[in-house]
Amino acid sequence: MNILEVDRVSKQYSGHKALDNVSLSVPEGSVYGLLGPNGAGKTTLIRIINHITAPDSGSVTFDGHALTEADMPHIGYLPEERGLYKKMTVGEQAVFFARLKGLSRSEATVRLREWFDRFGISDWWGRKVEELSKGMAQKVQFIVTVLHRPKLLIFDEPFSGFDPINANLLRDEILRLRDEGSTIIFSTHNMSSVEEICDHITLINRSRNILSGRVDELRSRWADGHYSITFSDADPVTLMEALAPMAGSFSTSADTRGRHTLDLRLLPGATLRDVIARANEASTIHAVNEAVASMNDIFISAVKANGGDTPAPVIS
Amino acid sequence: MSKVSIIIGREYAERVKKKSFIFTTILMPLFMLALMAVPALIVAMGGTETRTVTVVDPDGVVAPQLVDTDNVKFVIATAGTDTVAASADDDATLLFIPQGIVEGDKPLRLVTGKAASMMLENEISSQIERIVEGERMKLYDIDVKSIMAAVESNLSVNTVRTDRDTVGSSTMSYALGFILTFLLYMMLLLYGQMVMTSIIEEKNNRVLEVIVSSVKPTRLMLGKIAGIGLVAVTQIVIWGVLIVGLSAAVMPALLPADVAADITAMNSGAGTLAQSNLDTDLLSALALIADPMYILGIFGILLLFLIGGFLLYAAIYAAIGSAVDNIQDASQLQTVAVLPIILGIVFGMMAATDPVSNISVWTSIIPFTSPMVMMSRIPYGIPTWQIVTSLVVLYATFAACVWVAAKIYRVGIFMYGKKPTFKELIRWARYK
Repeated sequence: MNILEVDRVSKQYSGHKALDNVSLSVPEGSVYGLLGPNGAGKTTLIRIINHITAPDSGSVTFDGHALTEADMPHIGYLPEERGLYKKMTVGEQAVFFARLKGLSRSEATVRLREWFDRFGISDWWGRKVEELSKGMAQKVQFIVTVLHRPKLLIFDEPFSGFDPINANLLRDEILRLRDEGSTIIFSTHNMSSVEEICDHITLINRSRNILSGRVDELRSRWADGHYSITFSDADPVTLMEALAPMAGSFSTSADTRGRHTLDLRLLPGATLRDVIARANEASTIHAVNEAVASMNDIFISAVKANGGDTPAPVIS
Repeated sequence: MSKVSIIIGREYAERVKKKSFIFTTILMPLFMLALMAVPALIVAMGGTETRTVTVVDPDGVVAPQLVDTDNVKFVIATAGTDTVAASADDDATLLFIPQGIVEGDKPLRLVTGKAASMMLENEISSQIERIVEGERMKLYDIDVKSIMAAVESNLSVNTVRTDRDTVGSSTMSYALGFILTFLLYMMLLLYGQMVMTSIIEEKNNRVLEVIVSSVKPTRLMLGKIAGIGLVAVTQIVIWGVLIVGLSAAVMPALLPADVAADITAMNSGAGTLAQSNLDTDLLSALALIADPMYILGIFGILLLFLIGGFLLYAAIYAAIGSAVDNIQDASQLQTVAVLPIILGIVFGMMAATDPVSNISVWTSIIPFTSPMVMMSRIPYGIPTWQIVTSLVVLYATFAACVWVAAKIYRVGIFMYGKKPTFKELIRWARYK
């Protein structure tokens, strides 16, 4: 079952279309990656899912019914640009946000104490937010986002501003929330984090959904027919010429021990067996691997194929 | 508990707990009371230390005519100039009047051991000038004193309103109107801008991005306006209570018994002013301050106009605040709000001098200037229908303004970077 269905949603701002007929389905219990270069329309889509702005056309279905304001307490959203009231104390502020999500003051306090203990930040309770570092504030924001145990959690670039240790802590907490039954949407242009934890993705570019699906399916589809051969005792060019009738899209690299790696793609009708046989005649083979496309490769080629400017995905 | 009330609670608590708020809220009435107590104190104490001046007057013309006042007591020296000068204490004050001063101006000589005050010098020179002038006129057989006594006049106007049973002077109404107008001007500007800066701050540090996932932007804006408005009301109410309470408690103690009796007489409506030996204006001022019911009535109306005016301007300020990233960018857009407020105080001052002119009546009904102009007219006592009309128009305009402001706000809070133009604001208001 899908917890969220976005159906042909469009949103127009003066002189520019932020979303153009975007559809996607988020299965319940999944970790869903919402990818795209900056300015593609991700944030607009998230705001529509959060019922902050209304779409010009199209519909959003949440948990089986049309999304309304009453669903706001069932959604948790951690925006990319996030802040806290500087002059309030951490505890007071966390209780304030929890109450806005429908928790009572006492229940919010109990749950918050629990989370603060788990994160080892209990002694921050009475401190003013302006005394916290950016990373500390991020932890508080994370807790505030998930405290009301929403069915759907939306994280926009959640790891920015975290050091690797805290980023790991955060990732574990997110996966734990998934295991407890929440559905997670990740909005990011950080591909490595997608590969690690997302099981579905949608790629948005230039206001359109250009690619959607399960991560493993997408990767194998893109990997289809891609191999790399590591060899020695032959010139890469010679080998390329030898293999030319059955493969294409060559690229080569060399290592320090005189070995070369040739990446290639099988041409229609050719088999891996033929390629290995031919290569074996021409060189000494050390390894043959199926090349796995990284999400980064998929991202770049999909965006390029869509006619977009070459984006610069951040790899951390 | 609704989300709006949670927002209101936060906005309210954040401000009311501030030290600066507590400080100004407590100190302001004390300051105002001190201002009001000044006339009472003048009546009660009147002046400073009395100095004794020994007068040496060889001609014996001027000295006998000198009159003792609260500040100066004149003693005529019996001995001659040299003897007095020699025998005087170091800190005695001696006044030497030159011979033949009536025939021609000669400088007076004041010898004193301590500083001579400006007041003392003025008192002496004006008395002697008058005496000398009188003496000179006598040379022409003119008796100035008896002529002036017959001619001199010191009138005041006691307006008797046929539509109300009070007797009093307009001076007090003018002063009260002036103060109320200024108070409202201050509150609207201060609290209106508070709404704006607080929205800019929220937008700037991105708290807004977090909150809007829980509360609709429109409600957030309304909650903020209501929360800050409550702070303004709290402040005014505390001021009102303190001033009424303090004036009721302190004033009678400060006033001498005869003045207090006059005030009681006046407040009870007895027209005994003519018999009073006090200035009518002063007396009516004191009478008003000592009348808590009158102050309470004025405060009630002040509150209604403060709330209406605040809501109206807060809506405008909220729209402006949502549209910009920082205070600097706001300055230009802010004229939309500041200009009418300034016009309001200008017309308010005009209305304080002439409350029934056409311009005063109209500007007290036009919503943008009405709170301030109305407050300067109200102490004079104006028809109730005008107050009611003005209030209805004010609150209706607020409703319209807040509707437009909410539309701008909703879009504006997510717009970063470029400072928007008025044209863009209008376009935002039209978005779905």
